[in-house]
Amino acid sequence: MVSINYAFREISCKIVYYGPGLSGKTTNLIYIHKKAPPQTKGELISLATDADRTLYFDFLPIDIGPVQGFATKFQLYTVPGQVYYNATRKLVLRGVDGLVFVADSQAAKLEENIESMNNLIENLEEYGYVLEELPMIIQYNKRDLEEVSSLEELEKCLNPRGLPYFEAVAVKGIGVFDTLKAISKLVLEKARGKSEPEGEKELISVSAESKSSVMPSAEKEELEKKPYAPAREAIPEAPLGKDSFEEVERDLEQPEKTYRVEEKLEKAREREREKEEQAKETVRLQKEKEEELIKARLKEQEEKARKEKEGAERKKLFLERLEREMAEVERQKKALELEKIKEAEELKKKEQAALIEKMKKMEEEKKTLIQSQSEIEKETVEAERVSKETVPEGPVQTVKADETGLPFQSKIIISPMLKQKKTKPAKGGFLWRWIQKIAGPNLDPKDRR
Amino acid sequence: MDTKNSRSEFGSKRQEVKLQDDSLIIHEEEIEKIDRALIKLIKGAEAKCALLVDKDGHLITRQGFTHSLDTTALAALLAGSFASTREIARLVGEPEFSVLFHQGKRDHIHISLVGERSILVAIFDDRTTIGMVRLYAKECGEELATILGQAHKSKKKSEPAIDSGFAASAEDRLNDIFRD
Repeated sequence: MVSINYAFREISCKIVYYGPGLSGKTTNLIYIHKKAPPQTKGELISLATDADRTLYFDFLPIDIGPVQGFATKFQLYTVPGQVYYNATRKLVLRGVDGLVFVADSQAAKLEENIESMNNLIENLEEYGYVLEELPMIIQYNKRDLEEVSSLEELEKCLNPRGLPYFEAVAVKGIGVFDTLKAISKLVLEKARGKSEPEGEKELISVSAESKSSVMPSAEKEELEKKPYAPAREAIPEAPLGKDSFEEVERDLEQPEKTYRVEEKLEKAREREREKEEQAKETVRLQKEKEEELIKARLKEQEEKARKEKEGAERKKLFLERLEREMAEVERQKKALELEKIKEAEELKKKEQAALIEKMKKMEEEKKTLIQSQSEIEKETVEAERVSKETVPEGPVQTVKADETGLPFQSKIIISPMLKQKKTKPAKGGFLWRWIQKIAGPNLDPKDRR
Repeated sequence: MDTKNSRSEFGSKRQEVKLQDDSLIIHEEEIEKIDRALIKLIKGAEAKCALLVDKDGHLITRQGFTHSLDTTALAALLAGSFASTREIARLVGEPEFSVLFHQGKRDHIHISLVGERSILVAIFDDRTTIGMVRLYAKECGEELATILGQAHKSKKKSEPAIDSGFAASAEDRLNDIFRD
C-alpha cells in the first residue's frame, strides 16, 4: 500500500523485485545504486550471506524529489531467490505496491522461472493480494547469453496475461532503468486509480488543504504530452494543443477507458484460461497422487508378502530345529531311562546276591548251632550215663548250665532255627523218650541218636 | 464487479480487505499528536530518540536525536526484523512477540508493537534503564494506538489521495533522473 504522509509531504511506495535465484534481482539494484544521481539515492543495504546470496532482502531507497509538492520515494526491495528461503521471501512481500518479476532467460532456467512465478502467486494469496490487481512488470534478464529461450516461449510460459515486459542485461544496465521507470509509473497510476471514485475535483481540494493548492502550469503541460501507456499496448497519445485543463482531462479519459475495458475483458479471458489450466493441473496432480498412492500400496503389499514369507520360513526353520531338539531330548530321556533300568537291575542283582550271601551265612550259623547242640546233646547223654551209673534212682532235678551260664532248656527254646523245625511225634526207644521228657517237645528227631 | 469476482475466486477476502484497501495515510494533526506522545516518551524515559514505523517499513514519524541516523533504512530494517521475529513467534506457537529488545555496548533499542500495524522504536543509552523505557514505551504505545485507531476511522470519511496528474508528473522526473 502506498504510504502518504501529509506531515512530511511524502509519498512512499514499496517495489519488490521477485524472481528465481541468481536471476539478477540484486544486480538490478546495484546498477540503480551505481548510476542514479547521488541526491536521489540512499544507501544500498544488502542482507546477504558470505557468498553474496541474498539472505533476507536488499533495500535501496530512491527519492525522486518533489512531485506536486510531495517528496516521492520508492523503496526497492529484492527477495532471496533460493527456494528454501520462502519464509523470508514472503515477509518482504508484505505491503508491496509494485512487482518486478526478474526472469532468467536461459533455456535451462525456464522451469525455475515458472516455479518462482507460482510461488509468487501463492505467497501473494497468503497475504490476500490478487496478482491481477498489483502493478507488475516482467523483466527478461540475461538476454546477452547464449542458449536463451525465445521471447515467444518466455511470454507463453510466464506472461499469459500480457503484462508489460522488458528485455534486459542487468550487469550492463540494459533495460534496468526502463523497468524501474515503468513500474514506478504503474504504481503511482494505481495509487491514483484507487482514489478515483472520490472524484478528481475533490482531490484538488484536498491538495489545496495540504498547501499545494495550485498545480504548476508546467506540470499541466506535461500531462498533455505523456499519458500512461503500458509497453505493449499502444494507446493513442492525447492530442496536443489543448489549452484548458478540463479538455485535456476529457481527452485523457477516453483512451484510458477503452483501454480499461479491453484490459478487463482480456483479464477476464485470461482468468478463465488460468482457471481451466488450474483445473487441468489439479486433475493431473490428483492423478499423480493416486498413482503414487497405488504404487505405495503395492509396494507395501509386496513388502508385507515378503515379510510374511520370511516369517514363515523362519517359523519353519524354528519348528524344525525345535523338533530336532525335542527328538534329541527324547533320545536322551530314553537313554537315561535305560541307564536307570540297568542300574536298578544291577542293584537288584546286588541285593539278591547280598540276600543269598546272607542266607548262606545264616545257614552256616545254623549248622554251627546244630553242631553245638549235638555236642551238647552228646554231653548230656554222657552226663546221664554217668549220672545213671552214679545215681540210679529218682529223676534228676538239677538243670545243668552250659558254658554260657544259661539254663540249658531255655537255650534250646531261644534258638530260632530250632523253633522253625517241626517237632515230630516222639519215636524211638526208651532213652529217646526220656530225653524228650527232659528236653521238652521241641527236641529235633534228627538229634535222636 | 471485476475485482469482486476475482476476490471471491481466491477465497481470501477477509485478509485482503484488511491489507489491500489499507493505504497508510497520515495527516498533520495526527502526526502532531503522535509527536507529542513520542516527546513524552523521550523525556520521561530519557531516551535518545523515538521512531514510529509502519510494519511495511515506511517511517511514519521520528523525534529526538535522529540527524545522524539513516532513518529510512532503519525503518525498513526494523520492520524486517520485526517481521522475521513475528514469523519466529508463529513457528514456536506464539501469536506475536510484542516487545523486542536489542542490547548493545552503548546504545540499546526497545521495539514494541503499537496497535495492529505500527512499531514503536526507542533508542537509548546507559543514562537510563530498560525498565524505565519499558514503562514509558508501554504508556506511549497505548496512547499511539488510540490516535492511530481514530485516524483510521476518520480516513474512511474523506479519503484524500494523490492527483490524477501525479503519475505523469512523476514520469517526467523519472525520465530525467534515470538516464542510461
